[in-house]
Amino acid sequence: MSVNVGNLDAIAVDARQRISAAADEATLNQLRIDLLGKKGVLTGALRGLGSLPADQRSAAGARANALKTEIDQRLNARRQELEQNRLQGLADSEWVDVTFIPEAAVSRGHLHPLTQALTEITAIFSRLGYEVALGPEVEDDYHNFQALNIPEGHPARDEWDSFYLAQGGWLLRTHTSPVQIRFMEAHQPPIRIIAPGPVYRHEATDAGHESQFHQVEGLLVEEDIRMSDLVGTIEYFSRSMFGAERRIRISGDHFPFTEPSIGAAVSCGICQGTGCGSCKGGWLEIMGAGMVHPQVLRNGRIDPERYSGFAFGMGLDRIAMLKYNIADIRRLRESDVRFLRQF
Amino acid sequence: MVVSGNWLNEYVDVPKDLTALSERLTLSGTEVERIQVQEVDFDGVVVAEIKSLRPLTGSTKNQIATVTTGDGIADVVTGAWNIVPGNRVPYAIPGSRLGDRRIETKIFLGVASAGMLCSAVELGLGDDAAGILVLDEGAEPGTNVRDLYPPDTIFHLEVKSNRPDLLAHLGIAREIATLFRIPLRRPAMRDSARGTTGRLATIEAPEGCRRFVGKLITGVRVGPSPVWMQARLRAVGIRPISNVVDITNYVMLESGQPMHAFDHSRLAQGRVIVRRARQGEQLECLDGQTRVLSSEAMVVADSERAQAVAGIIGGTASSVTTRTTDVLLEAATWEPRRIRATARALGLRTEASLRFEKGLSPALSLPAVDRAASLLKELAGGNASTGADVYPDPLRPARIVLTLERLNRVLGVEVPTPQAEDILKRLGFVVDRSNSQLTVTPPEFRLDCALPEDVIEEVGRIYGYGHIPSTLPGSRRPLRDIYRAQDADERVREILVGLGFDEAVTYPLTDRRHALDVRLPAAASTPALIQNPVAEDRDALRVSLVPGLLQALALNARLDQPGLGLFEIGTGFWPQAASTAPIREVRLLGIVRHVPPALAGNAPAELRAVEAAVRLVAERVGGRTVDVRQSEGLGFHPGRTAAMLAQGTEVGMAGEVHPAVLTGLDLAGRAIAAEIILTGVVGDESYTPKQSPVPRYPGVRRDLTVVIRGKIPSNDLVQVIRQLGGYTLRDISMLSEYQGPQLGAGARSLSFRLQYQADDRTLTNEEVSTVQQRIIDGLKQRFDAEVRS
Repeated sequence: MSVNVGNLDAIAVDARQRISAAADEATLNQLRIDLLGKKGVLTGALRGLGSLPADQRSAAGARANALKTEIDQRLNARRQELEQNRLQGLADSEWVDVTFIPEAAVSRGHLHPLTQALTEITAIFSRLGYEVALGPEVEDDYHNFQALNIPEGHPARDEWDSFYLAQGGWLLRTHTSPVQIRFMEAHQPPIRIIAPGPVYRHEATDAGHESQFHQVEGLLVEEDIRMSDLVGTIEYFSRSMFGAERRIRISGDHFPFTEPSIGAAVSCGICQGTGCGSCKGGWLEIMGAGMVHPQVLRNGRIDPERYSGFAFGMGLDRIAMLKYNIADIRRLRESDVRFLRQF
Repeated sequence: MVVSGNWLNEYVDVPKDLTALSERLTLSGTEVERIQVQEVDFDGVVVAEIKSLRPLTGSTKNQIATVTTGDGIADVVTGAWNIVPGNRVPYAIPGSRLGDRRIETKIFLGVASAGMLCSAVELGLGDDAAGILVLDEGAEPGTNVRDLYPPDTIFHLEVKSNRPDLLAHLGIAREIATLFRIPLRRPAMRDSARGTTGRLATIEAPEGCRRFVGKLITGVRVGPSPVWMQARLRAVGIRPISNVVDITNYVMLESGQPMHAFDHSRLAQGRVIVRRARQGEQLECLDGQTRVLSSEAMVVADSERAQAVAGIIGGTASSVTTRTTDVLLEAATWEPRRIRATARALGLRTEASLRFEKGLSPALSLPAVDRAASLLKELAGGNASTGADVYPDPLRPARIVLTLERLNRVLGVEVPTPQAEDILKRLGFVVDRSNSQLTVTPPEFRLDCALPEDVIEEVGRIYGYGHIPSTLPGSRRPLRDIYRAQDADERVREILVGLGFDEAVTYPLTDRRHALDVRLPAAASTPALIQNPVAEDRDALRVSLVPGLLQALALNARLDQPGLGLFEIGTGFWPQAASTAPIREVRLLGIVRHVPPALAGNAPAELRAVEAAVRLVAERVGGRTVDVRQSEGLGFHPGRTAAMLAQGTEVGMAGEVHPAVLTGLDLAGRAIAAEIILTGVVGDESYTPKQSPVPRYPGVRRDLTVVIRGKIPSNDLVQVIRQLGGYTLRDISMLSEYQGPQLGAGARSLSFRLQYQADDRTLTNEEVSTVQQRIIDGLKQRFDAEVRS
């Protein structure tokens, strides 16, 4: 091809037209190759400059270089223009229905409500310096009853009807209280423990009663422990667990292994303590407690003259039921996921 | 315990504010469960006296009674035959109301019946529909029957097991008097002349009887008890029977001491012997049932045979009837354990046994007999004759010494000394104070008070635990025994929940027939059985968590919730021989996953996901590597089960559940199960990761695809790769498995990713390629594998 200024003009016209018509980045990239690449039109024209007469060569050279710069600038400008357009049109071009969230997008299971309640209880008591202690679920009569001042034939045994193993004399613990004895047998005061775990009662089940449920026991033995310490501990626990606005009520009670014995109730969160269908006159019973009976301390090889302490026991199921508004205790162990996945 | 407000008013002015009363009683330890106002639901019923009775012509069922209400007479047709002229009966006059029913004059076979005579049922006073309610002779004709049954407030109380003294109106009245600081009125009682011991009663088995008080009352006229007594008994749910029986019940409900009345003429030789029953001895009891006794039971017998099951129920033969004239009253103190055991063995709990089981004070019996004797004289014309009081080992009153300082320190609140003293005195304690020390003698009816702590409780519960401030104990404590297993459990749970498994809590008591459906080889081969199960399908302790979890999967599948993943951390009970404990309690982690029928092909992938979950738990919580081996286990699929090993020890299994087990559960599709001994993978101590240097030089990553045939576990390939890889091969991970028509039957293609790394230099491609080639050659040779790099 012969090269002249007119030729360059034609290239310029064609290039301008094609650049401004380019609709996307890929077309622009191709244009850059077509126009400015090694085998490009302008490159070819520049290469042809050598064949021009010397007088025309320098003018045509200048013209070609100017055109090269212009094309480069136009390509860049068009690129920016296209980018601008693209960004401005994002709302349409890349619209996504953000309200459609498929179930499988992320998946996480559910912790059982008893676990969640226990985690919270453990955290509350660990702030008060309690450790967690565990004991066997298959117990002997001594630890489950006798060491707790409940001898054979004691009327209180009726409250703790037991499952017995076919194998001689062993029973399923009816409460977590034997952990008190086992821990005291192995440790001298100061003692601060909570003992969570399953317990078993030989009785019929209904919405409020299970034959297999969980308890959390507490035991504190130190020097000069008073009932006010017990009351304060119950209050700290209850308000931490159920809400700072809650109040507690302490009433007389009877357990063979504590003296004095008390029952603790927390004000109802639904009626705020005035009385409603969900509570007993504004109060919800949450635990039994008392000062450890001196004989129980002795059974745990602890000197009651030197040390005193308190113990408490609560139904984990009941605490979870109150906390999560569960009406029927049997729901807790059915493993119906429609229930489990609410927590 | 059911208590009548009217009855209580006999001993104390019951506060009018029932809310306050209820709250104070509840806080003091006697919970008021319910208060109900009881009022008769009739109008216009008056007392009438039967003047005469004559047949109603044409009827065999009814007769005509001519009655008077004091002014004038009326004829009333009645279907009852228990009445005789002279009886006082409730008479509903024409125009009167019984509940919703209007009573008018009605014609029976041509005879006008002016209203009707009423039974207890018709008046809503009891369940006795057999005949007309016969009132006592003291009921004045013309009296409005409403006035005989004044409105009453009935308290339903929960009395704690250590307070049998509160199973009595007098006991409750004493509590109220103490709580509200008001006077207590004790029932008037005459002193009793003690008769000659040994004539009327002897104790042959002192192990079962602490005290036996008897008194012979002669010349008794058996009849209905007065209306006021009947009203009180009815109010608390006791059916009036006759004046003698009612008086014994009345005294029990007043004082707490159960009593029995024998027809003295029916006792052989007129005396009783307290002894053990003869094995197999039979007795027809007051409820009409004949009971067979064991030699552990106590009886009150005459010289020939048992006449009452001691402390539980009387016998028919010597019971008081309308013909009785001489009554032997009994008030004894029975050994509580024996009563409890006998009541249990007979499956019979009575008002009497309930009280004796709790341990009554022997001090109650003599006053009770005196009170009953005095009521019998007053209401049945009986005269006290001889008596017996066999009491070989009299109660010695306890003396409890307590400092005021101790009292206040244990309670954590300062109780004003006069108030503490007042509380104890009102409760019947004798208090002797010298300076700051109290010497206290509990009332003889309170056997539950023996220690200073017991006295402190009495002061505390009456003073009000609500006065105790809230404090927290503080002391310097040594650091020790930080229990970590609980923390580990929490971390395991968090990981599994993060992987999408839901946590379940299932019952430890299970069905022995399914307890071994799936279990670990290490587990016991028989479950521990329960001697006294509550239900047939809860008769064994679980060996494994898996059967329960599979049942949960089946339940949820039935509830249209297929494809679940569940886990549980709980105890497995493995019976063990020759050890101090009969059971090894193993902390287990169970994981299950249901694979619905439509996705059955995913079962291998789901199994591998469960295996990976177990490995993740072990690595993150225990810092341990879990190796897997192709294995077999009870209840698992024979070709799809892995044994899991940590530190060379088998710690669990993961596998597909055997299809036969699923059929048994009626669970369609497939299921994956894993069971792990938790301590085996997470250890006892909490695991803390330790940092090692990150690589300074870039590594080289190469993928390797191996096609093999037959049941070659990838573990074997990995082992060879590791051997041949040398020290620069740092990590081998499994990428994917492929099976398909292109490979031909029985062939699998496995892809691995190999990570090469050196600590001191950048590895060259040539170096890595040499090793990689060595591995390829090795795999080809060892496994006849086709390898693509």
